[in-house]
Amino acid sequence: MKKNDLKSMGKSFTKYILIIGALLILLDFTFHRHEYFSFAEIYGFPAFFGFVSFVFIVMLGKWLRKFLMRKEDYYDQ
Amino acid sequence: MISNFIPGLIMIITSFLLPTIPQYFRHPAMLLSVGLSALSLFNGYGTFLEWDILGLNLILYQSDSLTLPFAIIFHIAAILVIIFSWHSKNLMEHMATLAYAGSAIGALHAGDFFSLFIWWEATALTSVFIVFAGNTNAAKDAAMRYLIIQVSSGVLLLIGACLMLYQTGNHNLAVLDLKTNFGIFIFIAFGIKAAFPLLNGWLQDSYPESSVTGTVALSAFTTKLAIYALARTFPGTDTLIWIGAIMTAFPVFFAVIENDLRRVLSFSLNNQLGFMVVGIGIGTELSLNGTVAHAFVHIIYKALLFMSMGAVLYRAGTTKASELGGLYKYMPFTTIFCIIGAMSISAFPLFSGFVAKSLIMSSLGGMGMVLIYLILFFASAGVLEHSGIKIPYFAFFAHERKNKVKEAPINMLIAMGIAAFLCIAIGVFPKYLYQILPYAVEYQPYTLDHVISQLQLLVFAIIAFLFLVKFKLYPSEIRSTVLNSDWFYRKMLPGIGKPLFKKIGLLTDSLYKNLGLSFKQVLSKSYKFSNLSYIKVTTPSFAGTILISILFIMLVIVLV
Repeated sequence: MKKNDLKSMGKSFTKYILIIGALLILLDFTFHRHEYFSFAEIYGFPAFFGFVSFVFIVMLGKWLRKFLMRKEDYYDQ
Repeated sequence: MISNFIPGLIMIITSFLLPTIPQYFRHPAMLLSVGLSALSLFNGYGTFLEWDILGLNLILYQSDSLTLPFAIIFHIAAILVIIFSWHSKNLMEHMATLAYAGSAIGALHAGDFFSLFIWWEATALTSVFIVFAGNTNAAKDAAMRYLIIQVSSGVLLLIGACLMLYQTGNHNLAVLDLKTNFGIFIFIAFGIKAAFPLLNGWLQDSYPESSVTGTVALSAFTTKLAIYALARTFPGTDTLIWIGAIMTAFPVFFAVIENDLRRVLSFSLNNQLGFMVVGIGIGTELSLNGTVAHAFVHIIYKALLFMSMGAVLYRAGTTKASELGGLYKYMPFTTIFCIIGAMSISAFPLFSGFVAKSLIMSSLGGMGMVLIYLILFFASAGVLEHSGIKIPYFAFFAHERKNKVKEAPINMLIAMGIAAFLCIAIGVFPKYLYQILPYAVEYQPYTLDHVISQLQLLVFAIIAFLFLVKFKLYPSEIRSTVLNSDWFYRKMLPGIGKPLFKKIGLLTDSLYKNLGLSFKQVLSKSYKFSNLSYIKVTTPSFAGTILISILFIMLVIVLV
């Protein structure tokens, strides 16, 4: 029972977020979004940029572990 | 009389009186002193106190439209910290916190570089005790490093101030540029405390080592004082735009892999300072308003996040992501407050971060700076990653928790509640924040374009997170140390210096040894000589040595 709590929460959270995401993209088609730069006015640009940035940050961070990660007691040695 | 009293000074005096006050009255006394100091907020603008000493005119108390918003938020932060630490009986930490907040408030009202220097060092000397109060060996070591760095910043400021006085005959706070040598000294002094790239190591080194309550105090003052000082002396300095942009972007990657959540927040703090520094670099009225607004709301939500992690540390005993998770069941209020802080820092519409960050983004857009705009937009996704998702997710959710913990003490909940309320109130009614900003600018953050654009960015970044977790691409938490710029003086310099000094030590050792040996040889020869039978026969050995010495000296004199 306990285990299901977090899982079901995660599932319903995912569901709502996906719905909101879809709505936001649809909303983009209903009006012209004014931005400072013309490329940012492309449909769904912020969404695309957010998604790609996030994945990039996590992946690059993960890769940087090779160079930046040391044992917990590194400075005590 | 009260109008001439330097704001914050009453807090410092009270902090020294705290040991004489019984335990139960200490916190009310601290609050009272902050309240008395806050009366200065109603004094209006002007110069209220000057002091002629040693031929210098020190402006000890002045106030203008840039000072006021910082003074207001510093007082609010002091109140939050005092409420949050109400349960604590650590006298040293209370004294240090109150004096530290008082010094920071005093610094805001300094009108010349020498008075600023005094307060600058006062914040260093008081806050080091807060790091020290972490009361672990790691905290004590970190405190010493912290002190060295902070005092160095002060020394650079003093050098800059002296050079400025010598070269221009003026030492009042004024707009400087990087073409003068004193400007560079002062710039670096401010840059250390503002945690510029590569000068930032002290921040992530010391803040997470402090106590449950100490980190909250530390997070509010030092760095924002530096932002205030930069805004006063270097507005419109182009270099700052790039420095700021790098500051927003690079801590993001460190925060992804850091395991200690309070250290993650320290990286996040660094990233937030980047936004403010960019605003100073642009230097328009809109962007400077943005910097001040961002500093204002940032102090509240960053304190809120540090408070929530403080509460977790207090109850669960650690803030290491690898050992946390599932706390939402046991600490529901802390969870909610933390999420409000997370949404504020991520700049969700209706939360305080949104109404402040918009000013900086708009001023960038208005100037047509595409690249910087994109870097900051990118960094916004980064903020969401580490502060918006990582902090609440790994502390309160992630996986079920086996052993129970209690909800945070009531005083902590009250402090977090006030901060959370302010985060939402400012987000919903930004006009009250805009009213106290240095410049009167009409600005409307809630346009449909802006709201949709920001929501798209944030929601799809969250979807990216869910996607990464679903496909097990999100890096798992590992107990580890992440290298940062403090590595240079914690590992590299000792790494070079220790063997080097050892070598030099060995060299001098062998030199002394050889010297000693040859000395001995000379001695033994002279001893032998003095023991020669014909001398020995006529004189005792000591007298023989003296005799030979005299003969030798006479010989030298004759020869010369």
